[in-house]
Amino acid sequence: MTTVAIDIRGVSKVYNPGSNQAVQALDTVSLTINDNEFFTLLGPSGCGKTTLLRLIAGFEQVTGGEIMLFDEEIENLEPSQRPVNTVFQHYALFPHMTVAQNVAFGLERLKKPQAEIDATVERVLSLVKMKELGDRRPNQLSGGQQQRVALARALAPSPKVLLLDEPLSALDLKLRQNMREELKQLQRETGITFVFVTHDQEEALAMSDRIAVMSNGEVQQIGAPTDIYEHPVNRFVADFIGDTNFLDGEITSVNDDLVTCRVGSESLFEAANSGNHSVGDQVTLFLRPEKITLSAAGDASRQGRVANIVYLGNQAAYTVDMGDGIELTAQARPREDGNLPFATNDTISVDYSARALRVLAI
Amino acid sequence: MSTWLPKGASSRRWLGLAPSYIVIGIFMLIPMVIMGVFSFLEPNPYGGVKAVGSFDAYVKLFFEYDLEDQLVFNPGYINIVWRSFQLSIMATVLCLVVGFPVAYYITLQPENKRNFYIYLVTIPFWTNLLIRTFAWIIILGRGGVIELPLQKLGIIDDSLRMMYSDGAIAVGLTYSYLPLMVLPIYASLEKLDFRLLEAASDLYANRWVTMWKVVIPLCKPGVVAGCILVFIPCIGAFIAPNLLGGGKKLMLGSLVQFQFSSARNWPFGAALSMLLLSAVVVSLIFYARAAKKRALMEGEV
Repeated sequence: MTTVAIDIRGVSKVYNPGSNQAVQALDTVSLTINDNEFFTLLGPSGCGKTTLLRLIAGFEQVTGGEIMLFDEEIENLEPSQRPVNTVFQHYALFPHMTVAQNVAFGLERLKKPQAEIDATVERVLSLVKMKELGDRRPNQLSGGQQQRVALARALAPSPKVLLLDEPLSALDLKLRQNMREELKQLQRETGITFVFVTHDQEEALAMSDRIAVMSNGEVQQIGAPTDIYEHPVNRFVADFIGDTNFLDGEITSVNDDLVTCRVGSESLFEAANSGNHSVGDQVTLFLRPEKITLSAAGDASRQGRVANIVYLGNQAAYTVDMGDGIELTAQARPREDGNLPFATNDTISVDYSARALRVLAI
Repeated sequence: MSTWLPKGASSRRWLGLAPSYIVIGIFMLIPMVIMGVFSFLEPNPYGGVKAVGSFDAYVKLFFEYDLEDQLVFNPGYINIVWRSFQLSIMATVLCLVVGFPVAYYITLQPENKRNFYIYLVTIPFWTNLLIRTFAWIIILGRGGVIELPLQKLGIIDDSLRMMYSDGAIAVGLTYSYLPLMVLPIYASLEKLDFRLLEAASDLYANRWVTMWKVVIPLCKPGVVAGCILVFIPCIGAFIAPNLLGGGKKLMLGSLVQFQFSSARNWPFGAALSMLLLSAVVVSLIFYARAAKKRALMEGEV
C-alpha cells in the first residue's frame, strides 16, 4: 500500500498579512505526496511553489491549514527539528568548511558516532561521484560539483523527505540534462521521497512520478507526466506544459466519439468527445504540434500556407496559415540531406487524427 | 605608440606617490625615529634630553638602584605593563561581548534602516573623549546616576565605590572604543549570506550551534579586526585610566604621559613608548600571519 509522506491540507500563506503589502502566496492548497515518490511542483515564478517547499521545510509559517509529515503535525517544529533536508537553489554550502565537513554537518548535529559519520560521508560522496574531492572547499569547485555536494549534504542524514528548490537552474544545459537522470536514479536508489520544485516543464516531465502544476497560489492539476501533458484540465496547464495550438470555437454537433466545432467564421474541426459537451458550448480545442503531420500538397482535406519557419536543428517549427484567421504550429524533420522539406509560402497539407484534437474546459 | 611611456612610468609613479610618502615620513617615520633616539639618551632634569647616550631608560624598566647603588629588580613598571595588558584584554572582551550582538542586530534590520543605526553608533565620536569620560564619573561616582537612586530606595547604605577601580577603567575603555568593534564586525556580517543560516537550521543546527559553527567563523576577519582596533588604543590609553582610575591605577599610557610631563624623564617615556610600539607591532604581525594563512587555505584553486 502506498504510504502518504506529506499531506498538505488546505494550506494558505499570506506574506505581510494585514499590511498594504499583503501577498497571498498560497490559497488553500491541498495535495498528498506519497512515500518513495518523485513529486514535482511545477509552475511559473511567483506561483507559490517555492513557498510551499519552504513551508514544508519550516522556513515559513502557514497562515492557514496544516501540513502532516508521515501523519505527524509539524507546524510547531523548528526547521532543525524536521526530518527533512533541502537542496537549495544556490546550494548554500558553508564556504569555511571542506566538502567532507559540509556533508558531515547534519550528521554531527544529530550526534551520530564519529565512525558512522565518516562512513556515511564517504558513502554519500561516492553516491554523487565526489569521493575524491572531499578535502576541497566549495569555492574550489565548479557549479556542477557544488550541486553534487549540496545534494550529498542533504542526503547524508537520510531525511524522510528531500526537498529540492530548483537545484538545476544554475547549471548549463548539458549538465542539467545529465543531472536529471542522476537525480531520478538517486531517488530510486535511496528510496527517499523527493519533492522537486522547478519552472522547467521538460525537467518535470523527465523526472517526476507525479507533477502538481501550480499557478497564482493554487494547484491547477496533479497527475503523472503523461496525464498532465495529454489531458490537461485547463488552458493554463495545456499552455504551460509544452507547445500547443489553441482553437477557440463553438460546438455545432455532438456524437458518441466526436464533437464538431466551428472555429473562426466557417472552419469546422472535429475533436475527441471528452463528455459533457452540448451544442452551442463555447470551448477551446487544443492540438499538440507533434500530432500534426505535414506533407507536400496533395488531396488532404486540409491545406495551408507556410507562414513562418523556426529552425531548431533536429526539427523545424512551421507556422501554417490555414485561412479564416487560423494558424497552426507543427513540426517537421529536416530531410536526409539536411534541407528543410518546405519553404515559406509553400502550400502544404496538414493531417492529424480527430482523436488528437481535444476539448478543454474553459 | 609611445616610447616615452614605459621609460617614464616608474619615475612618474614615484611622483604620484610622493605626497603619501611625504605624509608618512613627516607624520610617522620622523617622530618615531626621534622617539627611538630619545629613548637612548639621558634625561635633562628641566625637561627634554641631554645629548649623552645611555641605556638607563631601558634598564629602569626592570631595575632600580638600591641604597648601596646596586641594581636590583624592580617589578613596579612591569606590573603596570602587565595591568595595562590585563585591562586592555578585559576591555576588548567586553567590547566583543557587547559589540557583536549590536552589529548582528543591525545586520538583521531592513536595509534602509541599517545606515541609520550605524550612524547612531558613530555619534559619540562627535564629542570630545575627555568630556565623555567625565560623564562616566557622574554615572559611576559617589552619589552618581547609579548610586543615588539605589541610595534613595534604601537598597544600599554606603557608596558602591565603583570609581577609581580597575572595573571603572575597563568600563571607560569599553565605552570609548566600542564603535571600533561594532563597525568592522558589522562590515563582515553584512556580507554574510543569510541563506547559510537557513541551510544550517535545515541540517538540524539550533540557533546557538548555527551562531557558533557558521556565523562566527564566517565573520572572524571582522572580529579579529575589531579586537585589534580596540586593543591597540586601549593599551596606550591615558584619559580613562587617569580620570576613572584616579591616576593611582596607572596604565602604560598614563605612565608615558607622566614621564613627559611631571616626571620630566623623556628618555624613559620614550622607552616605554617603544615597548608599547613593539607590543602592537608583534600583535599585528601575528594577525597578518593568521590572515595570510587563512587566505592561502581558502583562496587556493
